[in-house]
Order: sequence, then C-alpha cells, then structure tokens
Amino acid sequence: MNLMSHLIAGFPDEETSIAIADALVKGGANILEIQLAFSDPSADGPAIQTASTIALEKGYSTKQGLEVVKKIHERHPETPIYIMTYGSLAFTPGIENFVKMCKDAGVSACIIPDLPFDCDEGLTEACKKHGLENIPVAAPSMTKERLETMASKGFKYIYAALRAGTTGSETTIDQATLDFIDTVGKGGAKVLGGFGIRNGEQSKVLSKHVYAVVAGSVFVNIVLANENTDKGKALAIEQIEAKAKELTGLQ
Amino acid sequence: MTYSNNGFFDKFGGKYVAEIIRRPLDDLEEAFNKYIRDPEFLEELRVIQRDYIGRETPLYFAPTATELLGGAQIYIKLEGLANTGAHKINNAIGQCLLAKKMGKTRIIAETGAGQHGLATAAACAKLGLECVVYMGEVDVRRQQPNVATMEMYGAKVVPVTSGSRTLKDAVNEAMRDWATNFKNTHYVLGSALGPAPFPDIVRTFQSIIGEEVKRQAAERNIDIAAVVACVGGGSNSIGVFTPFINDANVRLIGAEAGGIGPNVGENASRMTGNASREGIVQGYKSRFLIDEDGQSLPTRSISAGLDYMGIGPQLAALGESGRVEFTSILDKEALEAVKFFARNEGILFALESAHAGAAAMKIAKELPKDKALVINMSGRGDKDIFITSPVFRPEKWKEFLKAELKRLDNNEDIHDAEIMNKK
Ligand SMILES: Cc1ncc(COP(=O)(O)O)c(C=O)c1O
Repeated sequence: MNLMSHLIAGFPDEETSIAIADALVKGGANILEIQLAFSDPSADGPAIQTASTIALEKGYSTKQGLEVVKKIHERHPETPIYIMTYGSLAFTPGIENFVKMCKDAGVSACIIPDLPFDCDEGLTEACKKHGLENIPVAAPSMTKERLETMASKGFKYIYAALRAGTTGSETTIDQATLDFIDTVGKGGAKVLGGFGIRNGEQSKVLSKHVYAVVAGSVFVNIVLANENTDKGKALAIEQIEAKAKELTGLQ
Repeated sequence: MTYSNNGFFDKFGGKYVAEIIRRPLDDLEEAFNKYIRDPEFLEELRVIQRDYIGRETPLYFAPTATELLGGAQIYIKLEGLANTGAHKINNAIGQCLLAKKMGKTRIIAETGAGQHGLATAAACAKLGLECVVYMGEVDVRRQQPNVATMEMYGAKVVPVTSGSRTLKDAVNEAMRDWATNFKNTHYVLGSALGPAPFPDIVRTFQSIIGEEVKRQAAERNIDIAAVVACVGGGSNSIGVFTPFINDANVRLIGAEAGGIGPNVGENASRMTGNASREGIVQGYKSRFLIDEDGQSLPTRSISAGLDYMGIGPQLAALGESGRVEFTSILDKEALEAVKFFARNEGILFALESAHAGAAAMKIAKELPKDKALVINMSGRGDKDIFITSPVFRPEKWKEFLKAELKRLDNNEDIHDAEIMNKK
C-alpha cells in the first residue's frame, strides 16, 4: 500500500526533522508530505499549530524550510515530496516564484488548502508550467455540485479530508466516507485519503479505497510528546519508524 | 463601491478558505441574502435595535471642542451609548438573529479586547442562544473585566493557547470550531473582514450608524464636510462611511493605530507607513502586517481593539482608490484625545475611538467653520480604566489595587478593610 506521511520542516529542529523523514521512509512511507510552517494554520488542529509555532521560533520559514526539504530530497531522491502550506506563503513572494523555489528544492507537488481550486491565484497554472502538480483538498461537507466540479478539473491527485473537521480527530470509515471517496475520484484523480489515521487497522481498511493513505498528526503527536530532550527525540524517531511500519503493514 | 462583486472589492476580499469551511460560508451567504430582504426579519431587527440596543444613538454637537479646535463644527456620534458600550452590538445582534432564523442553537465568536465577545454574549443571552467565545490567553489575562462580564451573560470564554495567543489566534480557533460544528453553530465574526460573505454582512449591520448620521444631519441642516472613524478590522468605520461613499463632498478619514512608532512590531498601521503588504491571510485578500514570506508579524497598540494585523478588504480597496484617507495616530495622541473630550465635553471615548478623536483634533482646522466634522465615537471608555488609570494616576491606582487584593485575601467586607481605618 501507499502511505503519504507528514512532517513539518524544521520541527522540532532541522536535524530531527531530517531523521523523521528517514524514519518514515524506512517505515515504508512512499510519499512525504512536508509542511512549511505558517503562523496561522487555521485548517490544522492544535498539534500541527503547536509544532508550526516551534518550527517558526527556530527560524524555519519558507527559505529555511525549503533547505530542509532539499536535504531530505537529496537523501531520498526516489521518494516524491509534496509541500503542504498556506496561501499566504505562496502568494506573498508571488505564486510562480514560490512554485519555482519548491521545484528547486526537489518538490513534486503543492497542497495549499486555502487557495481554492476555482480561485487559486494561478497556482495550478504555475505548477503545470514548472512540472509540478497542484493537489486540491476536498472535504465531505462540500456540496455534491462543488465536489463534482473539483473532481472533473483534471487534477492528477486530490487530497480527501475524510472528516468534517480539522486534522487530529479519529476517523471512522463508514459508507458516507466511501461514497465521498468515490465521488472525489470520479474524474480520474488519484485519491490521497486521510485525516485522523491512528493505527494499522484503520490504514488497512482505508488503503483498499484510496491511492494512498495519508497520516499526519499521529506522527506530529509522537514528536510533541518527546521533543524536549535528545533522548526523547531519539525515542520519537524509533516510534515514528514503528508507527509507519504499522500503518504500511510492514510489521 | 458599496457591495462586493462576488465577494471582491476591486482586487481585495474573496473566500480564500479550505473546503472544510466553505460550506458554512456558502450557507450563510444564502441565508443572509434571503433574510436581509425579509420584511419580518427586518422589523424584528428594528425593534431590537430600538428597545434593546437603544437606537438611535445621539449625534452630539461638541461646542467647547469646536471652539478650542478652531475649525469645523465638531459632532460626535455616540455609539458608546449603545447597550454594552460600543458599536459591536449592532453586528452581534444582527448576526445572532440571522443565526436563529437559520436554526442554529450555538454561537461562537472570537474576541481581542473583549468588546465583540461581550456584545455577542449579551446578544446570545437576549436571544436564548448558547455562546462560546474564543479569546487569546494573553488577552484573557489583560482584559479580565470583559471576561467577567461575558461570563455574567452566561457565555463560556475559552482561552486560546496556540500561536501568539492573541486575537488572530482566537480567529483561527473559532474557524476550527466552525469547521467541525457548523451544523448547529454559527460563527459571529466581529469585524468587516474575513472570508466572504462576512465583510458584506458586517457592513450591512453596521451601516445603521451612517444612515442615522445622514438622517440626523439632514433633519438639523448639518452640512457634513468630513467623517472620521477609527479602523481596527474596520466595522465601525465602514458602518459610518457607507452612506457617504458615493457623496464626493464628504471626506472620509480612517484613523489607524500608530502605536509607539513606525517600525515593524510598533504599530498596527496597514494603510499608512511601510510595515504592511498585500496578502492572503485568514480567508481574505487585503493589506496585512506580514513579513516577506507571508508570516504574520507582531502588532502593537494601546487600544486592544485596533491591535490586529489585517484590515477589512473593502476599506483596503477604498484606501487604494483614494476614496478613504488614512492617518495613523500614536498611543500618546489617543490618550491626549481621551483627556481632551472627557474634560471639555464630558464624554469618555474608548481608546479605540480616541484615535478618531485625535485625528479630528488634527484636521478640524483644515475645514471651514460652517461645515461639520463628524467623529464616530465607536465605544465609551469605561472599559479602559485598567489601562488609562495606570497612565493618568499611577500611584493612586496601585494603592487601590493593592488594598483590594489584601481585602480579598483576608476575605473582608469593604467596611472592615484596613484601608477604611486609615486616618
Ligand atoms: C470601541 C471599539 N472601537 C473600535 C474597534 C475596532 O474594530 P472595528 O475597526 O471593527 O470597528 C473595537 C474593537 O474591539 C472597539 O471595541
């Protein structure tokens, strides 16, 4: 199965975030979703907000964050990296500039939830021009009409946020969720499905219905619980590798 | 430009939100467009405005200020006399009534200083709605009187511990709550900003200020040359400006927080100075105090209500087109204005509104004596006693607080307290 796993560039520090990426890849993750920390991540839950604040306090805004991304890319050239961040960080330097910076760091796609697919400031176009994908984020609360419009726009991937809420709560895979996933993929997009994945059983069930399972705050929470000491960080890296293995079914 | 074009005011505005929050915004837009044309809704609102808010508020002629400033006739629109002490109630009542019509039972709000939270808490108490107010932990600490009052109205005040723990973080937290709970919950945003349709909704409910000014002026043959208002997010200013936007004879002037100086982190000036840039933050495109990457920057103002990084998109557009002039007022100038109007007119401005007062003091002389300069006093200053007292009478205030603390520690009635026996 495919696992897209998430980390924040520069959280809890540069060295550890690179080690986290190593652990995720070792644990079987085959896509890395790397978040560039933003001061106001309103589509994320408290765990990712806290982690973003820590990364920013250490100076990992766009440029420094993308340097971390580049290092990770150099260590794992075969693993695609998708950048996740907010519209402010893409718009302020100029969308095309931002996409170019991402490309130079080895990024292959952008996920920017607050640049809606029908008002994206030219993000999709800029991505196309530079050989990247723009990956929109769909939510179950979208009207059927809007969801179908998104699904038919020709996106190669669509990120499906599997719960009417922000990252971090438990996911149940019920019929409504399965119907939602179906609609998201209707236009041929590969579905990256997640939000709230906690254990191997959930990812196993979900993996049958999506192109890749997405897991994010489960890893961030492991780091948050251990980030204060070197020993804690080493432990977190071990646990992350184990968790990735659990989610990918390698163990 | 009085109404947005599909959420945009020229290039500003929009609905830059994640899809998780899109549905409640679209539902709200639909309901608002329906009810704002519904005579029954409008009549219900009108009665509440009259009997509960206390509208209309007076347009007061300030004779001493006029004489001392030596220019235009000074008029003050006393929004501070509205129930709960500021214009914020106009929007809170409007949105809560709308939410009730939509079948929502739970209201959430963000608040900085606590004025909008207070107004929303009161509106919910009046209309029988559950109320949760998100407030940055830093603001909870420094604005206790408003926290206490919100709780008195039965609201639950939730301290927000993420990010910088101030207003913008309270907005983020309210957005998160809404994304999860929108089926039964309405989010009452407190200023004319955020994603569409909020700028249109808030302006519509606040425009009653300007409509009254216009009517009052016509009734009394007052010839208005300029209207000045303070600009935080922009709700009181757009509210008082709106009926005058298409009247080129009336200058419209917005006063921003100049804080302690022009540098980054020293003020909250989005339209003046050079600390701000165009951006997309918290769901809308406007001018923000953000850095070159797009990260939010710290802001500063003595008035908590103006201490915010963004400005409503309509005002940003009106500012760029030149229709609204902006000026920036320092903390110390606002304090001077509080004193000036209190001493000379017996009117106590809120620190926010005092920025408008200070701007008027500067420009009155530029205007002819037979014309009027209207200051929108968005709120009254009782709430600022913990900020103004330490400035104007620090020793007495310290003594008072120490004695109160001691009395509370000893669990004594004021009549028995040590301070009463001091000869
Ligand atoms: C009295 C008063 N005036 C002005 C403001 C600023 O808000 P706005 O610019 O939306 O009117 C506030 C905000 O709390 C306030 O309490």
